[in-house]
Amino acid sequence: MGVTILTQFPTENRTGPQTIDVLSKRISALGATQQGQFLVDCETYTSAPQLGHQRIVHVLHNSEQPATVFSILESGTKTIPLATDGLFDLLMMKMSSFYTSKKQTKAESKGPRFEIGDFCVKLGTVTISSNFKGILVEVEYRPCVVPAMCWDLMKEFLQGFLGLSGPTNPPAYLQNRMQEIYSPLDTVHQYLEHFTVFRKLPGIGMRP
Amino acid sequence: MSTHSAPGTAMDSLSAALKCNIIPNQEYLLQGSVLDQYVEVLLHRLRGLCDNVDSGPESFHDHELCFTLRAANTGTPMVLPLRVRRALDVSDAPFQLRYVGQQELGDKSRPTVVRSSIDMACSSTIIDFLTELGCRLDFEYIARGYMFRKGRMKITVSKIFKMGGSKPGEGVEAISQSYLVELSVLAPSGQDAIGEDMRIFAEQLRPLVQLEKIDYKRLGNMAM
Repeated sequence: MGVTILTQFPTENRTGPQTIDVLSKRISALGATQQGQFLVDCETYTSAPQLGHQRIVHVLHNSEQPATVFSILESGTKTIPLATDGLFDLLMMKMSSFYTSKKQTKAESKGPRFEIGDFCVKLGTVTISSNFKGILVEVEYRPCVVPAMCWDLMKEFLQGFLGLSGPTNPPAYLQNRMQEIYSPLDTVHQYLEHFTVFRKLPGIGMRP
Repeated sequence: MSTHSAPGTAMDSLSAALKCNIIPNQEYLLQGSVLDQYVEVLLHRLRGLCDNVDSGPESFHDHELCFTLRAANTGTPMVLPLRVRRALDVSDAPFQLRYVGQQELGDKSRPTVVRSSIDMACSSTIIDFLTELGCRLDFEYIARGYMFRKGRMKITVSKIFKMGGSKPGEGVEAISQSYLVELSVLAPSGQDAIGEDMRIFAEQLRPLVQLEKIDYKRLGNMAM
C-alpha cells in the first residue's frame, strides 16, 4: 500500500476502448506488464424524509481491497468515512427503509491493471448506470506512504506516459493531506470526487 | 500480454454468498447468570470443559453502545437496532458493528433462542458515522469477563457495569451482584442441529448456572 494519484485522461476524438488501447500501448512500451483487471464501484444512498434533514451515504468497493467496504457519509455539515467488512452491504439492505439508492447513480471504473517496477497503473473506463463517461488513470507508488515525499516523482511518471494531460498539481482532495500517512480510504475519496463530477456531466453520447 | 477475467462486483459475490447460504447471519443463544461468589467455580468448570485448556480463558474488557435508527411520523414504526463494541484493553483492535434482529423463541422443541445477526469489524469512526446517520444512543455499558470456546460454541462470563466518569472504564459501578453467562453460536441459517449441541453443553453447567431461552418481553412485564 503506497500513495495513489487519480487523474482524468481526456478522450478527445477517441472512443473509450481506443483511449484505453492507446494508454495500454504506451505503458507497455515503458516495460509494464498487465496483472489482471481492477474494479472500483460506488452506490449512493439518500436518507428517507422521515429521518429528518437529508444525508447521503456513498458505499464504495475497490478490488484492491476485496474484503473491505468503504462508506462516506455526508450529513451536510460533516463528512465521515468508514471502513468495514464485506457484510456492510448486507446491513445496507436492512436499512433499505431508511436509506435508498437511486439506480441511475451507480458508478464504476474498471479496466486493465499494470505493474511496472514500484508503480501500479490502472486504466479505468468510467460508466454511470452503464453509460460511458470518461477515462480515469490511477497510479500508485508503492514504496512510499507520505504524498509530499513522492509527489514530484509521481508527477514525472504520470507526465511520462500521459504527456501534457498529466496532472500538474496534486488532486484537490490530497492538497491539504500531503504530509499525512496515506490510506486506502484516501484512494476511495479521490474516486468519489471524480464520480461526483462525472455524475453531473450530461451524457456525452459516446458508447464505451 | 496475458488477459484475465474481470473481477465481479462486490454485490455479485454477496448475492452468490447469500444464495449458497454461507454467511453466518443467525445467532443461536442461551443466557443465564451466576452469583459473584460462585463465579470462580463456574470458571473452573468451564476451563475443564472448553477447548482453550492450555492457554486459559481469554479475558475481555469491552465498551458496548446500543443505538437505534428510527423513523418518526410513520404509521408502522421502523426501528433498526445497531450495536458498537470496542475493546478497552486492546487499543488497536478494530471496533465491532452488529445488527441484532428480533429474537425468535420458537416452541418447546427448539432448544435455543434464534435471532438474525450481522456482525462486522469496522474503523473507529463508526460512532460518529452512526450518530450522523441519524441513530440515537439508547444505552451503553461496560462488560468485563472471560471468553471460552468449545468447537463452534462461544461462552462468555461477563460482569456488566454502568457507565460513569467522563472516560469509559472510569468510576464504573456493577449493575448487580452476579455475572451474565452467555452461550452462543453464529452460523448460517438452517443449521438448527447446533441448538442441540448447545442444549447438551448447557446441561453440563447445571445446577451452577441455568442457561435458558430468555424472553425479554416477559422480563419487561415483570419490571412493570
